[in-house]
Amino acid sequence: MFKKILFATSATRASDHAARVAFNIARAYHARLDIFHVLGVPSRGYSQVVVDIKTRERVDVDDDYMAWVQDEITTYYADYLKNGLDYDIHVAVGLPAREILRRARETEPDLILLGGSTEEEHDGVYKKTVAGTTLQKVARAARCPVLVVTRPAASFWGGISSITFGTDFSKASDKAFEFALKMALTLNCELHVFHALAITSLSSERLMSQDDIEQKIREKLRVIRARYEPRLKTLKQYTMEVWEGIPYMEIVKYARETHSDLIIMAHHSRKLETDDRAFGSNVEQVIVRAGCPVISINR
Amino acid sequence: MQKKILIIDDDPNILDYLSALFTDNGYDTQVAPDAVKGLETARRFEPDLITLDIEMPGEWGPRFYRQMMQIKELKNTPVIVISGLSGNEHAIPKAIAAVKKPFDREELLRIVKETLG
Repeated sequence: MFKKILFATSATRASDHAARVAFNIARAYHARLDIFHVLGVPSRGYSQVVVDIKTRERVDVDDDYMAWVQDEITTYYADYLKNGLDYDIHVAVGLPAREILRRARETEPDLILLGGSTEEEHDGVYKKTVAGTTLQKVARAARCPVLVVTRPAASFWGGISSITFGTDFSKASDKAFEFALKMALTLNCELHVFHALAITSLSSERLMSQDDIEQKIREKLRVIRARYEPRLKTLKQYTMEVWEGIPYMEIVKYARETHSDLIIMAHHSRKLETDDRAFGSNVEQVIVRAGCPVISINR
Repeated sequence: MQKKILIIDDDPNILDYLSALFTDNGYDTQVAPDAVKGLETARRFEPDLITLDIEMPGEWGPRFYRQMMQIKELKNTPVIVISGLSGNEHAIPKAIAAVKKPFDREELLRIVKETLG
């Protein structure tokens, strides 16, 4: 399923739970792991002076410093690197999102794996409910699926045996479905196809009646059946479900109820900046709230 | 009637220790060294409580929990996670408690007594 995984890491505690997922998936699925670290952003264009993301110090970056950082990463992940794991460590300088995408273009991984945000300015609730800029940019622009682990709860707990696929019936969702189905077949796991019916909020003018909601749920269930069930029959175990509510919340709740180890969703927006940066799209909200890793697919 | 506790852990020292601890405190115990044997024992023993390790050879604790949830006789059985893995409180969201190894025996007994009455 995955032959080459690009694991972009800050090699700090913010990436620890993502690291557990990256190393365990690479080992379980015999993938080559490309551990990639962007050590900092140059103070000016082409400058050699960089603020190191780990030490927070201004440093003159030369080959010796890069080699030292590489050694530091090897030491940081020493426990995981034992016992014949196929891996490589690369260090770069620049804007993290741009460098990660550049590395991905060069190495063409099957999967990019990212950890939580290291943005210190986003404290408290704000930090916990907003996808970091690196994550947003990579998830929107990557050419391959992007797996994100932002919470300790979304760490590795023994493998993937149950997948929730969240759909909004778009073309992008159809692509994501192909990937989810392939993954469920390859890993021989359950696939739960889920749609969340967005309900108008209480504060807005028009409130849907419960009869309307239930009618719409039945309609959407018919759409799911028509669209996905013929393909789902190739699987041993699958379910189809529609719930009403706030879409990202319902997806997170449904994945918890089905004990899913993975959520797969399409990412629609390819724009790098949006007006709703602080809120993000549904998939970005799922990413920061889910109790399991989330794979975002944008093409 | 004695309450029954099933202990699932791949570390034989932990199995011995917990078994002695619970037996000394009046509980009937059985042990299993992995998730597969855990499920077999759980079906037969029908425990009132299960203590569950997370990282075990073969299937991990969360997978045992998922399978257990599909068995009518077991799905309401409370589970206490006992593991050395960081963040173990997140491994099984519906576990009644998560205890980190090395654990305080009095604290564990208090949770067990609170749960089983």
